[in-house]
Amino acid sequence: MRILLWAECQKLRRSNILLLTAFATVFIAVFVFIGGKTTVHGVDFSESSGWYMATALTWATMFILPAMIALLGSYMICREEQDDTIKHLRLVPINETKLTAAKMIVTFVLSVLIYLLLFIITLAIEAVLHFSALSIETVLDFLKMYLIQGAGVFFAVSPIIAIVPYMKKSYWLALLLAEIYSFSALFMSMSNALKHFYPITAVFGVSGYYETTVQELACCIIALSLCGCLAAVLLVGLNHSQKGKKHEEKII
Amino acid sequence: MLKLIQIEFMKLRRRKLVWLMLLASLVMPFFAFLYYGYFGKTGIDPAAFYKWSAFGYTMLIILPFVLGMLCTILMYNENRYDMLKQLWIVPVSRLGYFFSKFFVVLIYSVCFMLITAIASVLFSVLPGYVVFEWGSIFFLMKKCLEIALFTAFAMLPVLAVTASQKGYILSVCITLIYAFAGFFMTPINMYLHPLSCVSVIVSRSGDIPGLTLPQAVHAPVAILGIFLWSVAATLFAMVTLNRRK
Repeated sequence: MRILLWAECQKLRRSNILLLTAFATVFIAVFVFIGGKTTVHGVDFSESSGWYMATALTWATMFILPAMIALLGSYMICREEQDDTIKHLRLVPINETKLTAAKMIVTFVLSVLIYLLLFIITLAIEAVLHFSALSIETVLDFLKMYLIQGAGVFFAVSPIIAIVPYMKKSYWLALLLAEIYSFSALFMSMSNALKHFYPITAVFGVSGYYETTVQELACCIIALSLCGCLAAVLLVGLNHSQKGKKHEEKII
Repeated sequence: MLKLIQIEFMKLRRRKLVWLMLLASLVMPFFAFLYYGYFGKTGIDPAAFYKWSAFGYTMLIILPFVLGMLCTILMYNENRYDMLKQLWIVPVSRLGYFFSKFFVVLIYSVCFMLITAIASVLFSVLPGYVVFEWGSIFFLMKKCLEIALFTAFAMLPVLAVTASQKGYILSVCITLIYAFAGFFMTPINMYLHPLSCVSVIVSRSGDIPGLTLPQAVHAPVAILGIFLWSVAATLFAMVTLNRRK
């Protein structure tokens, strides 16, 4: 497994997708900052301490980062088929279940790192704006929120990443689905009942962005766990179906 | 040119996904239906309902994102199967090739917004949120066609970038960032980004309630902004397509 993880990291080093994801993260941080400074009704939102870090987290999760993470994961899983390297990997031979698991682990780590990057950028800007208002507790609270958000978003989008290999060439649809899925969270958050079950808004419940009761927190965790289980079932099913195909080929 | 457009549509006939993406046009009318259902309001001002279903997130995010994806699909397939070489041998002009793709995007955009308009009427009139009036339906249709037309032109920079790329990753990321840049740029400067120019043009008469723009509305400046971006995108596409073998 360690070798597979190392190999995945090596493959990513050559790809520009990481750079683009980092750029998208910087982009959202910069635009939320500019948006906060813009006074629409005579209110400068960035004047209030903590507003920027909380808003950047919300906008990033509802608009851009879930789609980027889904794209990253689906790209990593699909590239072996697309670049036709899967044949070579089968000749090595490689356990495809382990390979997919390694890809998912790398996606998970990257998801957390993307949110960590966003945290560093927003903290730096927040420190410039209101250094005196920042306390260690606030910073640690936000750090916890961002890291859990990164992990949670991975679980929330994992079924979409897992669906992509089934759709073969239709990974476009997966990206579109991820975008609509995260965007719909805007409306799901309006309903007190739905926001704890809808995976993207459930992430906010788990991370502590929403104040939740124990039952609500349990609902959020169950929703995200179900997403993770669904992704695992889909990916295991995919590997079994591939093995089935190979077995049929041998019989022929 | 007509033949090129016809060929583009014949290619798309085999791609079910492109037609499936039209389902995204139902997202906001459905959410508007849920939103007003949640508050249990009836007798709503039609323009207020349509602001949610068609003039808000559909115009600013969903349509640009879907059109960006379409641009990427259209261009990526030609590169993937190495069709470009054969097209240059036929020969097909670079400008003709680029604009045939653009017209597909334009027609798709019109279809998308017409479906949004029909869905908006159905989701507002059938549950009784809005009283059926021909005047408001014509208003919705007119605005939807405006959005479709100008957004297709506003997506020309994305089409140009996708034309310059062989892979799909950069194009998709650019689409995502471009669509959201338009959304975030609107409160800062409405005339810099083509997509925020579209919102200026659509709300020029001030007949969409609740759609407040931070600056004075000058529709000609917004049209000029889209025009300049379109010219720059076309030139960029010509340069990159000429460089490619």
